[in-house]
Amino acid sequence: MDGLDDDTTVFTTLKSFKSFISQPDTSQHLAETSMTKSDLQRQYIHRIELEDAAAKIHSQTHLLQMAQEKKQMELSHKRARIELEKAAHSSARDFEREVDRNQDLLTRIKKLEEREAETAQVLNEQTEMNKALRKTMEGQNKKLEEKDSKISNTNEAICTLRDEIRELNHKIKNQEIQLATQATENESLQEQVEYQRRKYQEANQKYQSLQSSECLNSENELKIKELERRLALQEQDSVIVRNMRTELARVPEMERELKRLREENSYLRETKENSSLLKEESEGLRRKLERLEKIKEDMVNLELEKEKLAMKLQAWENLSQSTGLNIRKPEDLSREIIQIQQREIGLKQQNYSVTSSARALEKARTELQNELVQLRTKVLEEQKKREQQDALVRRLQKRVLLLTKERDGMRAILESYDTELAASEYSPQLTRRVREAEDMVQKTQAHNSEMEVQLSKAQEEAGSYKLQAQTAEMELDILKKQATNADNSAFVVGEEVSSLRQKIEELEAERGRLEEQNNVLEMRLERHNLQGDYDPLKTKVIHFRMNPTSLAKQERQDEVEKLREECRQLREHVRSLQAGGAVAAEEGTFNLPPSQEVLDLRRQMESAELKNQRLKEVFQKKIQEFRTVCYVLTGYQIDITTENQYRLTSVYAEHMEDSLLFKVGAV
Amino acid sequence: MSSTLKGITLKGSAELVAEFFSFGINSILYQRGIYPPETFTRVTQYDMSLYLTTDAKLKNYLTNVVSQLKEWLFDCTVQKLVVVITCLETNEVLERWQFDIECDKTAKQSSGPREKSIKAIQEEIRSVIRQITATVTFLPLLETACAFDLLIYTDKDLQVPEKWEESGPQMIADSEEVRLRSFTTTIHKVNSMVAYKRTDSM
Repeated sequence: MDGLDDDTTVFTTLKSFKSFISQPDTSQHLAETSMTKSDLQRQYIHRIELEDAAAKIHSQTHLLQMAQEKKQMELSHKRARIELEKAAHSSARDFEREVDRNQDLLTRIKKLEEREAETAQVLNEQTEMNKALRKTMEGQNKKLEEKDSKISNTNEAICTLRDEIRELNHKIKNQEIQLATQATENESLQEQVEYQRRKYQEANQKYQSLQSSECLNSENELKIKELERRLALQEQDSVIVRNMRTELARVPEMERELKRLREENSYLRETKENSSLLKEESEGLRRKLERLEKIKEDMVNLELEKEKLAMKLQAWENLSQSTGLNIRKPEDLSREIIQIQQREIGLKQQNYSVTSSARALEKARTELQNELVQLRTKVLEEQKKREQQDALVRRLQKRVLLLTKERDGMRAILESYDTELAASEYSPQLTRRVREAEDMVQKTQAHNSEMEVQLSKAQEEAGSYKLQAQTAEMELDILKKQATNADNSAFVVGEEVSSLRQKIEELEAERGRLEEQNNVLEMRLERHNLQGDYDPLKTKVIHFRMNPTSLAKQERQDEVEKLREECRQLREHVRSLQAGGAVAAEEGTFNLPPSQEVLDLRRQMESAELKNQRLKEVFQKKIQEFRTVCYVLTGYQIDITTENQYRLTSVYAEHMEDSLLFKVGAV
Repeated sequence: MSSTLKGITLKGSAELVAEFFSFGINSILYQRGIYPPETFTRVTQYDMSLYLTTDAKLKNYLTNVVSQLKEWLFDCTVQKLVVVITCLETNEVLERWQFDIECDKTAKQSSGPREKSIKAIQEEIRSVIRQITATVTFLPLLETACAFDLLIYTDKDLQVPEKWEESGPQMIADSEEVRLRSFTTTIHKVNSMVAYKRTDSM
């Protein structure tokens, strides 16, 4: 194949070469006109040679090319063969696959054939059914035709009936007209009846009026009689009137007189008023006079008093002169009195102090008396003592005398002894005795002196006691004097007694008051006890935790809470109602008692729904009618299968199922 | 009831007084209209017809309180029992029926029965309940919804039992008091009285 192509190229090159050769003959010819003829020939030969060489080279190259091509061809042949073998292998495999597929297909075909046979059977059954259906269709068509004929018959009957109806309508109209005329007649008759009735009523009224007028008549007759009587009376009166007229003629004169009298009257009245005024004045004056007289009397009295007072004053002045006090006026007197009172108060105070001192003195006196008594007793005792001591002193003195005598006797004895004996044997003893005796004497002397001292002391004491007694007696005398004075102040004691009594009374009163208070307090305590008060130290109050009060309170609180919540909800509800709308959301939570308004609205809604339903029914009925009419008249029926899709079925279609489907486009 | 007809023991006295309180409280509740009259039933006690509540809750409450009270009466630790009637609207105390109980604590030691017949005691109790009934004539009308509470005044050292708690005396601010009759079992003496809020009209 490739070689063929190469040959064509060679041929084309040869052709082109030949054409090239043939062409320069004419072109060179034209060129040779300008060049030389020798040159031309040589050039031509040279050229041919060149061309031959070129052709040779060319052919050689061509040959080489061909050889190469041949080699390539061979190679390609080999490759092609290998490829072919490969292809053969693949094709063999393909073939096998194809065979398998073929077998599959064959089995499928067989199945399909079976199915076909089945379908053919079904088809036959279908066709048979179709035929049967067609037969039934035909039968139905026939029936329909019969029905059509019947319908036409009935239509005719309807027409006839309509005619009849028309006639009947005519008749009815005529009858109605007649009825109307009769009704008009009736009305006129009724009007007449009413007119008659009215007349009757009028007659009745007239009759009644007549009766009443008769009554009136009789009354009037009575009245006339009465009037006649009155007339007679009037005639009598007229006579009187005439008399009166004559009297009346006198009236102007009387009037004049009356005027005059009135004037006089007014004048008199004025005078009366004046007189009354004067009387009042006179009375006033009289009163004044009386008053003045009284005043005069008073004056006289006062003068008398004045004189008396002057006398008194004089007396006062005299008094002042006599007393030497500076009393000229009552103020002075009062001042004096005040001073006196003050003095009196002072004196009283002094008196009180004096009485108190008197009391003190009394006390002192009593004390002193006691003391005095004591002192007297003491004095007596002392006197006794002194007497005793005096006696003792006397005795002692006697003893002293005796002792001195004894001593002297002893001394004499001793001296006699001394003189007689002068012995030294007894002398020491005697001297001792003497000494002893002397000692004793000295002792007795000392004792004596002591006693004397004591005596003197006692005497002194007695003197002092006597002095005391005297002073006491003096005091007693003084006190006695004072006591006499105190007797004068017995009334002071009385006062004291009375004051004490008063105090006692006061205390009694206070006691009573306190008792009362105590009673009141006790009563109060009782009342507190009654009110339920208690002593928290001794008592405590307890109650059951779940008592009815706390339970009731709890319940009440809960209820209040609930009501509050409800109130709040209702408020919100009202607010939302006021705002308008958004009620439906909360409607479930409320079970409001249906108000009248709500009930009305519900009724309206129900009626509206009913109306709507009726309209729907009527509409459906009408549209059905319209559709059937369309179908009957045009033979076409349009159904809406889905939205924007309409099915057109014709009564004249071959099959019942035959239909055209239309769809509304996007536009 | 006491075992003998002639005498009375502490136990019998406590039971008698507790019984009196049960009937007395029921009478007050009926007479003062704290509970509707249809919830009461007639019974014969102390030779007179009395009203007892049929309200289950109230019955339960009263039996609870009265049984506890019986114990305390037996221990002689109770001083007073007060029926407080409170207005629910204003929480104001309107009436206080106070029963002062004087216990003869020596009866605890000497267990011998006292010389007083139950008949005589019941006679006294009857007169007290009659008086409670009669007080309706002068007590002001309870116009608002009311509830009652029972306060018990006890000795300070008493252990407060479970379900009970301390309370205030619930006194009436401006009150009138009327003393009623008293009765005694020789162990317990019960003085009764009623205090009520003075109204403006009186």
